[in-house]
Amino acid sequence: MERQWVKLKVNGKERQLFIKPNELLLNVLRDELGLMGAKYGCGLGECAACTVLVNGQPMLACLILAVTMEGQEITTVEGMGDYDRLHPLQQSFLDHGAVQCGFCTPGMLLTAQALLAENPDPSEEEIRDYLRGNLCRCTGYAAIVRAVKEVKHPA
Amino acid sequence: MATDTRVLAAEFQYLEAHSLDEALAWLGQYGTRARVLAGGTDLLVKMKTGQVQPEYIIYIKKVAGLDYIQADEAGLRIGATTTLRKLEGCAAVKTGYSALYEAVRSMAATAIRNMGTIGGNLGNASPAADTAPPLLVYGATLKLASQAGTRLVPVEEFFLGPGKTCLAPEELLTEISLPPQGSESGSSFLKLGRVAADIAKINVAVSLQRSGRNCTACRIAFGSVAPTPIRVPEAEALLAGQEITEDLIETAAQAGAAAIKPISDNRSTREYRLKVSRVMLAEALRAAWQRAGGVL
Amino acid sequence: MDFQVIGKVLPRKDGIAKVCGQETYPSDVVVPHMLYGVTLRSPYPHAEILRVDTSAAEAMGAVCVTPDDVPEVIYNERTVSIPEKTYCDRRVLPRRARHVGEAIVAVAAETEEIAFKAMQAIKVEYKVLPPVLDLERAMAPGAPALYEEIYLGDQKIAVENNVACERIITVGDPEGAFARADYIVEREYELPRVYHHQMETKTAVCRPEPNGGITVWATTQTIHNVRQLLGRIFSLPLSKVNVKKLAIGGSFGSSIQMNSIIPICVALALKAKRPVKMATSREDDVYDHTKFPARIRLKVGVKKDGTIVAADMRALVDIGAHQINSYPLLGCMAGWYASLYKWGDFRYEGRAVYTNKVPACAMQGYGNPQVNFAVESHMDLIATECGFDPVKFRLKNYVGVGDEFWGQGPTVKSIIKSCGVEEMLQKGAEMIGWGQRRPPREKTGRYRRGIGMARGFHTSGTGGPKPGEVIDYSSATIKINEDGTVDVMTPVMDLGGGTGEAAVKVAAEVLKVPYERVELSRVDTKTTGYDVCTHATRGVYCGCGAVYHVAQQVKQKLFEYAGRILEENPGDLELAYAAEKGVTIIHAKGFKQKQITIGEVARLAQIYSWGTIAATDSLRQKNCPPCFVAHFVEVEVDTWTGIVRVPRAILLSDSGTPINPDMVAGQLIGSLSRGLGYALYEETEYDLESGKLKCNGFITDNKIPTVCEMPRLADIQVYFAHTYEPTGPFGAKGIGEAALNSVASALNNAIYNAIGIRFYRTPITPERVLAALEGGDRDGN
Ligand SMILES: Cc1cc2nc3c(=O)[nH]c(=O)nc-3n(C[C@H](O)[C@H](O)[C@H](O)COP(=O)(O)OP(=O)(O)OC[C@H]3O[C@@H](n4cnc5c(N)ncnc54)[C@H](O)[C@@H]3O)c2cc1C
Ligand code: FES
Ligand code: FES
Repeated sequence: MERQWVKLKVNGKERQLFIKPNELLLNVLRDELGLMGAKYGCGLGECAACTVLVNGQPMLACLILAVTMEGQEITTVEGMGDYDRLHPLQQSFLDHGAVQCGFCTPGMLLTAQALLAENPDPSEEEIRDYLRGNLCRCTGYAAIVRAVKEVKHPA
Repeated sequence: MATDTRVLAAEFQYLEAHSLDEALAWLGQYGTRARVLAGGTDLLVKMKTGQVQPEYIIYIKKVAGLDYIQADEAGLRIGATTTLRKLEGCAAVKTGYSALYEAVRSMAATAIRNMGTIGGNLGNASPAADTAPPLLVYGATLKLASQAGTRLVPVEEFFLGPGKTCLAPEELLTEISLPPQGSESGSSFLKLGRVAADIAKINVAVSLQRSGRNCTACRIAFGSVAPTPIRVPEAEALLAGQEITEDLIETAAQAGAAAIKPISDNRSTREYRLKVSRVMLAEALRAAWQRAGGVL
Repeated sequence: MDFQVIGKVLPRKDGIAKVCGQETYPSDVVVPHMLYGVTLRSPYPHAEILRVDTSAAEAMGAVCVTPDDVPEVIYNERTVSIPEKTYCDRRVLPRRARHVGEAIVAVAAETEEIAFKAMQAIKVEYKVLPPVLDLERAMAPGAPALYEEIYLGDQKIAVENNVACERIITVGDPEGAFARADYIVEREYELPRVYHHQMETKTAVCRPEPNGGITVWATTQTIHNVRQLLGRIFSLPLSKVNVKKLAIGGSFGSSIQMNSIIPICVALALKAKRPVKMATSREDDVYDHTKFPARIRLKVGVKKDGTIVAADMRALVDIGAHQINSYPLLGCMAGWYASLYKWGDFRYEGRAVYTNKVPACAMQGYGNPQVNFAVESHMDLIATECGFDPVKFRLKNYVGVGDEFWGQGPTVKSIIKSCGVEEMLQKGAEMIGWGQRRPPREKTGRYRRGIGMARGFHTSGTGGPKPGEVIDYSSATIKINEDGTVDVMTPVMDLGGGTGEAAVKVAAEVLKVPYERVELSRVDTKTTGYDVCTHATRGVYCGCGAVYHVAQQVKQKLFEYAGRILEENPGDLELAYAAEKGVTIIHAKGFKQKQITIGEVARLAQIYSWGTIAATDSLRQKNCPPCFVAHFVEVEVDTWTGIVRVPRAILLSDSGTPINPDMVAGQLIGSLSRGLGYALYEETEYDLESGKLKCNGFITDNKIPTVCEMPRLADIQVYFAHTYEPTGPFGAKGIGEAALNSVASALNNAIYNAIGIRFYRTPITPERVLAALEGGDRDGN
């Protein structure tokens, strides 16, 4: 299979990749770009551990051919905030004990970020509905929902 | 195991279409050796689990002019690559086509709905496809295009079996059109899954027209109870032209449940599907009737 | 008690890394020049491997390891019991496949894709053998045998009727006691196989080292046991085997043993002479491990006044193709049963049976949720049949303070010193409105609500006054840095529950140092002493017990050096935190003016060349106190669709002093969702023709609860009993596994209260509920 050039933006930076058409976005992000935030959980769209934002919309990197991302803007959890400048949601997850093993956390954070962009003050019901595809086996979700609900918006 | 969902090991040639002509040309050239890729939420799953192995993949999400929703007096026209999320956010769908709105809302979860398209949901032809029952009850028409031209097919004739449609190898589904809904019409959709984000154990859609206390026309469709999504004329006939009462709804629901032939699979059992189809149909009928302005 | 950091809600030490996507999990480990490994797995439940032809794979540049290439060592993946009590039945790669999905050949190549394709090119010639897929049939005479012989320690033993191991325990004279009972109630309960569904699939990375040794990064709950077992299998000196401690993407018991892929990865790396990474696909993972199922027959004899006088439990466990830890499991199940209620005279019979299915291992509770479901459903049943109030009936018979506790089975006994059962049952009853609870017959209509309760416990570790069959101790190293900050080195794995924070908090509390000035070190098996495993809810009680023990030694050393500087007797010194200045000081007792900061002590100790202020030691806890829980839940049953919802749940725990209150709550709420899954949704079913899983290993057909299945925030209430465990660090016990044990039982009891039907097997799916309702069956199927 022939490799081809793909140009895209990842966390605000232009990237050029020389990849095969059957390469999954998830593996390209992790193996080629060293961005380990998106996780493999099932490979079949069932868990959302691999969630990334494509043009601001949550999508599942395990079911995306990287070649189709030409010209798109991708955000991974690494693009959300830095350790010394956390995104308010990241801070809220810490404040509310929403992180246990943390394997679902990147996907949860990115999905929640997209929710808040659409709906800055979601109800509990709206949060549950928006996050229903993101599986977490540790927390029982309550702390995650609370963290999203009580996020402190930047002034 | 025989699969490895961590990677996509299949090899194929990737073709990225930017115009309809380009897509149709490739489809004409490669036919059954090619597969159209839209959101990929069905196709990539099937490739990873070894159910299909296309030699060519024609990516159509970049085709100009396939991603639209147009609502006017002629009804609703939806481009095939319109995502489920976009449908859900469209006011015309939400207010005018409740069953379709509810169906889309019930599907998977946010990320899948951002990726998945209505064309893909139909093209995949799963017996459980959630947009199918609503489209069946609205009497939707599908526009199929090939280099030879286009043809219009009623959605009812589209599904032939699990994963099988009447699309010819060189054809692409380009548009779904729904007739306008009158002011005294109402529709609804209901679904049961194992958990909140799931394919249906069973789903049902109802659309009906009201005149005073009577129902003038009614369509009912079930999913996940037969090799394709199906209408149940047996139940529809009981309601058309009749005054709607609780009793009649129950009778029709029973008739509907009696008409289906579900199987047992990983999601549910035949017995369960037979039992709850009645409950769901009755509820869907009530909701549609009330939305049409009817009282009970 | 007034603590500086214990009991305070403080940010996790690994929190920032986790929310930034910077935490390294095994699946994120990348080593230069590494290959990727995959395994070829058996498509048959039972087959002899006659020939393996790897030539096509090798032609693609792959390195292959076949059953002929691995050491002849036969082992048990789980090495927690003493060797004489460890049943061994497996090799790194078997010559006979005993379940669908068992790895037979391993392949490594430059990319995962090439490795997968090379694996597909391998040809295996099988001799297909008849499988046994049913528990009863496995034990029937003439059934195909999975094993002719296995090893118990070094001793070869024969396997008869596929019975892997058994335990029979009789206390007193149960026959006689049953004869004296006024009521005898007997039922059979069935708990299915359930997949752990930890979010990260198992991964191993192995780098061969120039000195002939190996470095391993792997998904595990126990770095030291992995090291020791690898040393034994590959005949490597332990000094040349190093296993790194990493974060883990959930576990719930699935990595309590050395994972099957770890030695396979090592074999590949040693053969390839290059680092190899094996990250399993989800489908491989689903075919790798499962929760122990159980079929439990329970008979209980009760007096008219509600006193239990006799009990008899027979447990059958379908362990699948290998023993991972089935012998201690049978002992623990006896313990979970024996320590719930004062049974009077009782009997226990536990039998583990081989079948050609995925090997079963521990999953949160290690047999306890299974036993609890039987016992707590049974207690409710007895209460209903004999006209007792379920709460009062439990209070009359429970095992509490001063009673003998069997914790981890018959060899680990201790006396209970702290117990919040009464407080929790009273509080729970009050919070849920137990007094207003109506019997099922008064409920009508489509949606019926019911209230149910159950209680449970787990041990905190497996310690005891004398050594038992199970190894239990932990180690720690603590070092005061030259600026007065503290490094804590603990081999104890944090599975996400916050054991790491707890260790930091305990060190901070003993040394009166602010939480921010204590950090956990990245450690491995070379830099730490032994810790058995993060299992048995022992992380806080035992792991942090060792931290407490070592911190005390460091404190003494600090006093000694400070004494030299202040010219005081070390015994006359005291530690204090000067909050206004944010420093920790050592001062003369009763004379605060004579003081020095610990940073200054450390600095001077360096300048005077006295040495580093540090200590390393191990500790075995002499107890394994029970942490108790209780669950009061409300359900709503849709009698038309059979769907059960949970509108409200009250979760009560007695974990002694909650060191991390938010994490204790997190464990309770997380367990609620897992218990919900156990009760209502989850089962990995087999196709009994092919021996394959019906879900094919895909989680598409193996649903766990989403956020929407949980009660709303305001409807989940958490309550901590006010207890102090005198033997635990700062009064703490565990919580982890306890939190799950009575969830499914409480839900079952609530369902009974809603619709008057009691279920004897899980999951209680809508299909089963509706069938039971339509069948008019008072006892669900
Ligand atoms: C986790 C998960 C949950 C899901 N939940 C649901 C659910 O609740 N309900 C439900 O109905 N579905 C569900 N699905 C299935 C899927 O998401 C939908 O069917 C979706 O609409 C498919 O659209 P797509 O664009 O991703 O299709 P693709 O995967 O791109 O295509 C699907 C098929 O249709 C063909 N195709 C696509 N577009 C066209 C076209 N324009 N003309 C001709 N053929 C075409 C493709 O060749 C392919 O065979 C789920 C899938 C996953 C992975
Ligand atoms: S890994 Fe992509 S959804 Fe699970
Ligand atoms: S925190 Fe472990 S899966 Fe969510």
